[in-house]
Amino acid sequence: MKTLVRALGLALCLAASMAQGQTLNYMKALDAPHFDGHRTTWSPSSDVINLVQDTLVALDWDGKTALPLLAKSWSVSPDGKTYTFKLRDDVQFCSGKKFTSADVVYSFNRQREVKGPFTWRAGKLKELKAIDPYTVSYEMTEPYSDLLVQLTMFNNTIHNKESVDQLGKDYGIKGLDGTGPWCFVSWQPRTEVVLKRHDAYRWGPSMYTNPGPVKFERMSIKIVPEDSSRLAAMMGGRFDITPHFPTQFIDQAKKAPMLNVDQAKPNFQLMYFGFKIDRPMVSDPRVREAMSIGLNRAELTKAVMLGQADPAYTYIDPEALDFAPSTKGIIKEDVNRAKKLLDDAGWKPGPDGIRVKDGVKLAPIVYIPQVTYFPRMTEAIQGYMRKIGIDWKIVALDSTIMPAKLSGQDFDIWTVTVPYLSAGELMNFYFDSAQIPVPNRMNYKDAQTDEAIRLGRTALTDADRAKGYAAAQERVMKDHLWMPVMNVKMYQTSNKKIKGARAHMLYQYTYYKGLDIAP
Amino acid sequence: MSSPAITASASGIGRRHSVLQRLARDKVALAAAIVLMTIALAALFAPLIAPYDPYFTDLSKPMQAPDGEHWFGTDNTGRDIFSRVLYGSRNTLIMALAGVLTGGALGGALGIASAFYRRLDPWIMRLVDIMLAFPAILIGLSVAAIVGPGIESVIIALVVSTVPDVARVARGSAIGIMGQEFMEAGRAVGVSNAALIWRYLTLNCISTISVFLTLRFGQVILVGSALGFLGMGAQPPEAELGMMAAQGRDFLFMAPHIATIPSLVILLIVLAANLLGDAVRDVLDPRLQQ
Repeated sequence: MKTLVRALGLALCLAASMAQGQTLNYMKALDAPHFDGHRTTWSPSSDVINLVQDTLVALDWDGKTALPLLAKSWSVSPDGKTYTFKLRDDVQFCSGKKFTSADVVYSFNRQREVKGPFTWRAGKLKELKAIDPYTVSYEMTEPYSDLLVQLTMFNNTIHNKESVDQLGKDYGIKGLDGTGPWCFVSWQPRTEVVLKRHDAYRWGPSMYTNPGPVKFERMSIKIVPEDSSRLAAMMGGRFDITPHFPTQFIDQAKKAPMLNVDQAKPNFQLMYFGFKIDRPMVSDPRVREAMSIGLNRAELTKAVMLGQADPAYTYIDPEALDFAPSTKGIIKEDVNRAKKLLDDAGWKPGPDGIRVKDGVKLAPIVYIPQVTYFPRMTEAIQGYMRKIGIDWKIVALDSTIMPAKLSGQDFDIWTVTVPYLSAGELMNFYFDSAQIPVPNRMNYKDAQTDEAIRLGRTALTDADRAKGYAAAQERVMKDHLWMPVMNVKMYQTSNKKIKGARAHMLYQYTYYKGLDIAP
Repeated sequence: MSSPAITASASGIGRRHSVLQRLARDKVALAAAIVLMTIALAALFAPLIAPYDPYFTDLSKPMQAPDGEHWFGTDNTGRDIFSRVLYGSRNTLIMALAGVLTGGALGGALGIASAFYRRLDPWIMRLVDIMLAFPAILIGLSVAAIVGPGIESVIIALVVSTVPDVARVARGSAIGIMGQEFMEAGRAVGVSNAALIWRYLTLNCISTISVFLTLRFGQVILVGSALGFLGMGAQPPEAELGMMAAQGRDFLFMAPHIATIPSLVILLIVLAANLLGDAVRDVLDPRLQQ
């Protein structure tokens, strides 16, 4: 009997040590340009940054609530301009350096100095002060009602000055220090990122049952760009987890005996077509509205996305923070009305069915990314447009040249999918006239919209913030600046050998901190 | 005085008959020619033959398998694949013909100029060497990056990739002819350079270049389709066989016909073109006849 107990004990110890020594094999479709969160908007950088570094606050599963992470508590001044964060005193970087308020001050100042593309997410900062080693005063020039939610984004993680100085231009490429649950080991571009467990990690957010450390010793993140290769790799058990199982095969994944599929809920990820409203073909709001109501979004999402998206009739998802219910009826699909609007706007059908005005065909140039669902979705919409007499000239662009092309002015319509956290985020980022020409590619300048956005942004109460952003949503939707198409569903697919995998919605990547994931 | 080329063309009709007769005796070549001709005619008369508008989307019938209503089925937006294959073959053949003919003309001119003007030879051949160093796919991607994707970009890439090969073939053939006695005779009686180049050299090189271009045609279709597959060719809603194969790639497991049918048509055209090219070479190459 004793021998049996010993043998069982030994087996359990062996199993436990094997689990401790295991590598988690993660797969994704796209690689990053680098992993310095201050210098990029690129979502494939964000997942690795969130694993290696932490933010002051974490985003709860509901996509709205900020939870304590590096900051254990905070208070806001009556004028809404100053936040005081109390920091944890038990945190350290992977390098072993102790985390203090000086690191917070350094990180936000560095973001301003390098003029990072997402600096706006941190609000209009006036001054950051380290009151003591574990207290930070965060003062802004005006109240910023979205601050806490925005502080959960990867661009607002805390960096170690020593690591930044030591690595110089190679920071975020050859190395990266952080207080996250994983430590950076190496990156072979277009191939693999290797991370190792941060053994000291004990400060995970309360949304996870495990505060840390993680249950795997190493993580290997492989880049597999081809859809069918990722499908075969997951089906064959080559990888443990991926946020990029091809969506067209997600039903097969759900039926596969070896796979678990978890949908990120909620998930705010809008695919839209934007109009450059100073271009002659789309300058008339009636033409823009005609395009927007000439579709059948339900049919599109069912046939083209095979049900892996929900039709979008508003810019903001109804579940998102500060969605304006009053915007629900603005887009009413109606092909006959679309044709009438185009007639009224002076675009009459030509001999080939395409509408003409003053000898010019209604054939706007549409820029699209040449990846994932964009080509097939745009082609399907192109079919709807032809039925109302509009000939979309689609130009599919490689993702490497797309950003440069989109910064120009020689196209009428473009499409992207935008992940967001709240109505305020979309309104501030895309529709404020201060954001012309990019990201306000519509070149939309409207004083009333600007004022409504400002009221929402600087509101001191939740109700005032919602009111300001609701007014802005109504104005931009009534002007038909965008044609919302669908809210893309996001899934995390994992091997059944892996336990505790739950999909998060943050910025197109589902893993987030993944502290509960275990062998 | 009658030049050798003119003398040859006096009996040209009889020789053409003989070439066609010999080609017709080769059953494989005959079958290849019939397949190519059928596809070319179907592509030419696509607007008359196609049962549906190739651009008409019907999202109530996506990815329908081949049946009596849609012979080749429908694609992911409910478009009739048979109609799109007809229009797609047209674009693919136009791209290949434009690439081969323009590339052949430019390459032939460069090769003959290189053989005739010996001082230019090193310069032209180094240029050709440089052009040979770039694969057609890379040229296509570069052109598309500069001028934007489209059929024109693919044609430019096909022309640029055809020129150096043809230039080398034409130069080799022309150098052989330059050593012939009738060239010296032409010079001796004061025939102009232009006449020497056209009547003595070019007309005598044409059969060699033609055989090469026939063999090249299949390769050009393949490269053009590959560029279409990569999204550098025809843009939606236009149809093109390579692009259609790429569109079906995402649905290989649930609707394999979307990618398979255009791919099979590419296979058929390339196979037929290669078999016909081989047969034409066999018939025209005097060394093989011996």
